[in-house]
Amino acid sequence: MNNPDTSSQYGPIGECGLRFFGKVSASISHEIKNVLAIINENAGLLEDLSFAAQRGAAIDPERLNRACLQFSKQIRRADGIIKNMNQFAHSVDQFAAPVDLCNTTELVCNLAGRLAAMRKITLQIIPPHAPVVIDANPFLLENLIWLGLEYALENTSEALSLTLAPEQSDSGTSLRITGIDGLSEDFSDKLPAGCKDLLSASNAHLAVDTAHKALIIHLS
Amino acid sequence: MRLLLVDDENEFVTTLAERLVIRGFEVDYATKAVDALDLAEKNRYDLVVLDMKMPGTSGLELKYMLEQIRPNMKYIFLTGHGSEEDYVAGSQQATHYLVKPVNISILISKINEAVDTHE
Repeated sequence: MNNPDTSSQYGPIGECGLRFFGKVSASISHEIKNVLAIINENAGLLEDLSFAAQRGAAIDPERLNRACLQFSKQIRRADGIIKNMNQFAHSVDQFAAPVDLCNTTELVCNLAGRLAAMRKITLQIIPPHAPVVIDANPFLLENLIWLGLEYALENTSEALSLTLAPEQSDSGTSLRITGIDGLSEDFSDKLPAGCKDLLSASNAHLAVDTAHKALIIHLS
Repeated sequence: MRLLLVDDENEFVTTLAERLVIRGFEVDYATKAVDALDLAEKNRYDLVVLDMKMPGTSGLELKYMLEQIRPNMKYIFLTGHGSEEDYVAGSQQATHYLVKPVNISILISKINEAVDTHE
């Protein structure tokens, strides 16, 4: 990270970007805490069973096996969380790079997985027929998708499903988030502080398609 | 002593329940608020161990709903969420607020303390 234009890249979105980083970090730490809690309980259970065995109690081998399987399952889970965190953390390394919009959308959906789960909302990505690759600042793009998704989650009824579709056409590149049943024309009033600066810094703009309950992030 | 554990992490809540049963507690558990409310309608519990953040219904909301069914139960919040805001809210609304992962001896001492204080 030795680009001299750091301030010009992130200056305009300073607080908004920090808030994004904080929310993602908090969500990840919560997920990891849950993984640790499961490992902790299964390790404790093995201790309990070992102690009981020392006192002559019969131990069900199947129960031991299930506890051991939990270790490998939770390690895989933690590995997935940390891979996402690592990819996210490294997104500030480059200020401009070719970015696969579908991969970035998938990353943001993974990072927002717990937020969606809290609202019982399912996130589904519709992959494009061909890769949609744009030149962008990866961190700003992630922040933009996050804000769009956050708005969508807050304005969608519980237990519904949101679809995210990266699209490329003659008119440009966009990400369409569909299924927002609380979407209204005055959506821009409900956007979080800093969104306008982020849109400006990303050279992007938002539009709504109320008939299809869709928020569209147009990317230049 | 009869306990109700509520946490959306199934593997966590089932294993913790098993460990508490080994230690002589009667334990029921739920991974959804609706199931916790159903259990509280049917059974009388001394104490509820509740996650602060769960899908759909927060721990604080669920505690309020459980209080309408069984006014005299004690509560411990056990959560992975470590924000100051949650700590303040959780520690005001429950006898104890513990952060995951928790040592079972500490959890049991807090359970006993909460129920003894109540009695």
